[in-house]
Amino acid sequence: MAKNHTRYIFSMGELKRKDNSIAFRNEKGNFYIPIQDTRELYCMNEVSFNTKFLDFISKSGITLHLFNYHGNYSGSFYPKEQLVSGDLTIKQSLCFIERRLHIAKAIVRAIALNIHESLYHYFRHGKKDLKQVLDWLKNDLEKLLNKELTIEQILFVEGQVWNRFYDSFKYFLPEDFIMNKRVKRPPDNPINALVSFGNTLLYTKTISSIYETHLNQTISFLHSPREGRFSLSLDISEAFKPIIVFKTIFDLVGKKRIQVTKHFDKSLNYALLNEEGKKIFIDAFETRINETFMHKKLKRKTSFKNCIKLDGYKLIKYIVEEKEFSPFLLKEKM
Amino acid sequence: MAKKQNINYNYVFLFYDIADEFSDIGKYRVAKVFKICKQYLKHHQKSIFRGNITPSDQIMLETKLKKVIDKDLDFISIIKVQNSGSFAEVIIGNDKKESESIFI
Repeated sequence: MAKNHTRYIFSMGELKRKDNSIAFRNEKGNFYIPIQDTRELYCMNEVSFNTKFLDFISKSGITLHLFNYHGNYSGSFYPKEQLVSGDLTIKQSLCFIERRLHIAKAIVRAIALNIHESLYHYFRHGKKDLKQVLDWLKNDLEKLLNKELTIEQILFVEGQVWNRFYDSFKYFLPEDFIMNKRVKRPPDNPINALVSFGNTLLYTKTISSIYETHLNQTISFLHSPREGRFSLSLDISEAFKPIIVFKTIFDLVGKKRIQVTKHFDKSLNYALLNEEGKKIFIDAFETRINETFMHKKLKRKTSFKNCIKLDGYKLIKYIVEEKEFSPFLLKEKM
Repeated sequence: MAKKQNINYNYVFLFYDIADEFSDIGKYRVAKVFKICKQYLKHHQKSIFRGNITPSDQIMLETKLKKVIDKDLDFISIIKVQNSGSFAEVIIGNDKKESESIFI
């Protein structure tokens, strides 16, 4: 298995500090988690811990993500901000006022190009119905984005991109997984459940990555920076959704590793992944996000996960030095 | 033999034999070694650890171990490989703990 610094806790129990390391205890006994080899912990079940434990993981820089009974994200505990920069925060806010539209457009463009890249794979393998969507993404969208737009209009364009993407599922996914309409909170059919769960995972991964940069988590550009959430994570994760979340979903569904009758909760109209389904999905998601490729600029092997952090750095470069900002594009990988 | 190595080893197996039968102090040493190892590696079998580890952490681990063991009686062996993809594994019987799994 690839290099992995993440642990997902699916059983009930207690997390403890023990002998300068982490121990997970339940009725089956102790399970030791090496502190030096862990960067993130996901609690997907009832887990208890105390301040002694939180203080300890805070010291070694571990992020703890908490999920509720239904598998919805409820919050993160992360160590005290060590990388804070007043200078960058001020510039980031100024950038929001003066150059917000530019960044927002760059993000939407990246989403479209990455979607184009992932759909093109199916087009090349005989799904000719996709041509219309692909053409729209490639030609019409660029024209749309080149116009003078307000932020509301950009958000509308973004919505259009996603809608067309979801609509195109009917051309290449099996019947059970066709999306009629994107529904959130709560998702009402299997594909919506997969998308929501995947997006949440990616969102938490992005929070951990942004934590490793000097950026302020609350000042975002495409999404409006409201209270109560780290909206910059939503911005930065956006360009990675087609590459990581949807690629994982298409793979799992296409290879029939996830099936409607087996891996979803029947009592809720198949609108929620069950535990086995979650495990399969997380496993594939982790493999995908840790997948490495040769980075052209860095001239060394880099994982997708690291690219999220690199996007953070690019944004800093844009804010501070006005270097052109373009989020990660799948095309650059090849 | 002693050729300068430029390879980074990122995955290790660690086996230890601590002389704990002869004295009470030996028993303390077992516990100490166990505590140090579990900060860095995943517990695989009774006296075997394995897992991803960075070269700098390897040096830390080795120094810490050297401090607690009795050099004349104890024996620790660390096998280093480049990554978890560079060896094959066969499992016979029941692996209850699944130390390599990302799920608990």
